Amino acid sequence: MATEARAARFTDEAPARAPWWERNLAWLLVAPTVIMFVLFAFIPSLTAIRYAFSRVRLTRAGITQEFIRFENFERAFDDPIVREAVGITLRWVGVVTLAEVGLGLLLALLMTQNIRWRALFTSLLIIPIIMPPVSVAIAWFFMYEINFGVFNYLLGEVGVSPVRWLSDVDYALYAMMAVDVWQATPFTFLLLYAGLLALPRDPYEAAAIDGATPWQIFRTVTLPLLAPILLVVTLLRVIDAARIFDKIWIMTQGGPGTSAYTMTLNIYIQGFRNLDFGYSSALSFLFQIVLIVIATVYVKRVMADYAAPRD
Amino acid sequence: MVGETSVGRILKHAAAVAAVLLVLLPVYWMVNMSFKGRSEFTARPPTLVVEEPTTANYRDLLVEQRFDRYGRNSLVVALIAASLAVTIGTLAAYGLSRFRLPKNINYHLLFTMLTVRMFPPIVTIVPLFVYYRELGLLDTRLGLGLVHAFTELPLVIWMMIGFFRDIPRDMEEAALVDGDNRLQVLRKIAIPLAAPGLAATFILVFISSWNEFLLALVLTESNAQTLPIAVAGQITQYQVKYGNIMAAGVLTTLPVLVLALLAQRHLTRGLAVGGVTG
Repeated sequence: MATEARAARFTDEAPARAPWWERNLAWLLVAPTVIMFVLFAFIPSLTAIRYAFSRVRLTRAGITQEFIRFENFERAFDDPIVREAVGITLRWVGVVTLAEVGLGLLLALLMTQNIRWRALFTSLLIIPIIMPPVSVAIAWFFMYEINFGVFNYLLGEVGVSPVRWLSDVDYALYAMMAVDVWQATPFTFLLLYAGLLALPRDPYEAAAIDGATPWQIFRTVTLPLLAPILLVVTLLRVIDAARIFDKIWIMTQGGPGTSAYTMTLNIYIQGFRNLDFGYSSALSFLFQIVLIVIATVYVKRVMADYAAPRD
Repeated sequence: MVGETSVGRILKHAAAVAAVLLVLLPVYWMVNMSFKGRSEFTARPPTLVVEEPTTANYRDLLVEQRFDRYGRNSLVVALIAASLAVTIGTLAAYGLSRFRLPKNINYHLLFTMLTVRMFPPIVTIVPLFVYYRELGLLDTRLGLGLVHAFTELPLVIWMMIGFFRDIPRDMEEAALVDGDNRLQVLRKIAIPLAAPGLAATFILVFISSWNEFLLALVLTESNAQTLPIAVAGQITQYQVKYGNIMAAGVLTTLPVLVLALLAQRHLTRGLAVGGVTG
């Protein structure tokens, strides 16, 4: 058939009489991407690994490296700040991911109900997603302000004495988590909302005929159907939450003290405050090994959809 | 829903309104504070609605502090990043969606690029800093734009593969039969048909670059400093120019809000490979 002949022609090799560039067009199309990858990911990664095993000094003339085997790594395992940073990062990732996925799911379930002005509400709800983190951080910074911030004012109205939101070791990390939850919950909401809207209708009709309660429907129909998307959203949040830097850096620079030193913050400080590039690289190497596991699971999930046959 | 009580309906709407108010509160507070004069800014209790609105903060920010130069830096960096990433990524996406490279390279390349997206930039930032220092790219808008272009490349490839898949192949194949070569097919058929997606992708990359913090912090200083770094720098200087910071926050947010409105329809697809803010 004619259409089949055409279809074959497109994916097949270009005819031999075609110019060389057309016969190799596929390679040429992906070449710039491969070059970017080599320049900005592959080579820097190799350098980072070399630095991780070296004592690196930044001088006016350039950079000096001295191979020191595993010294940087030994130091990392003995470093109390690293141990602290691991704990803080884990706590950060755990709390914000749970809160963001949980609240996002609640919000998504709410907005799929029979709600008036739904389109308007949804548009407003997703504003935080695209806001510059720096604007978010400074807006909250002044809401948390001890003397003239709006939170302490509201607390004062109900007779609670002012809280040092960002300068009290007991509160600062959680106060900043709230900021992250504020900005990322709309993100989980939007993805889960889109997921809910795309669910098949039939199981719901069947459940309704069986006289299931809303809670039963949620547990036996919605949750299992939504599970793949929930997993993807959760993994994505874990990966992004683990690298938190901007908000914490802007609001407290990791303080008070070292109480909000996350992994990324600590690596940054070792590298660009203490100019200890070797140690910083060793830390980021270890950090990357942990993240590569989660990232691979996530990418495999997303790619399964890509590899699935279409049409 | 069948048998829904009016109490239930009211509760649902109350919850939805509460969520929207929670989302809008910090945004409102930032705008509100940005119009307060020096004494009103630190007033106790704070005025919930600005009482003596003034544009002094904005004037001071733009005229005295010359904040527009950071805005220009951000603009140029984001334009470089978006143009480059969209061009390179679109070519790759077309190649991956229309041709089959040997040894399953299609799959591996896409896998690698998506994995790259998931890696924290902190991992390669030290080597990049060292290279940039030697190449003279440190503290240049081109340098930062190039890195941003790379970090957003996976987003572009992922989005554009989706858009190219939505185009019926018959049209392209018909053009091939009519004697166009494959590049002409891309230019005359695939690109025009994917144009709305292309524009949305451009906008998302622009926003990501505009918002990006860590790479900009490390790779720029005085010449190429972008808005987020300049705004953040204000907070640690303990002068009394609080109002300026809030005005700067508003001005940094405005452009992305407008752009996001234009690309809203395609936001979900882009988010599937990660937040727009990184």
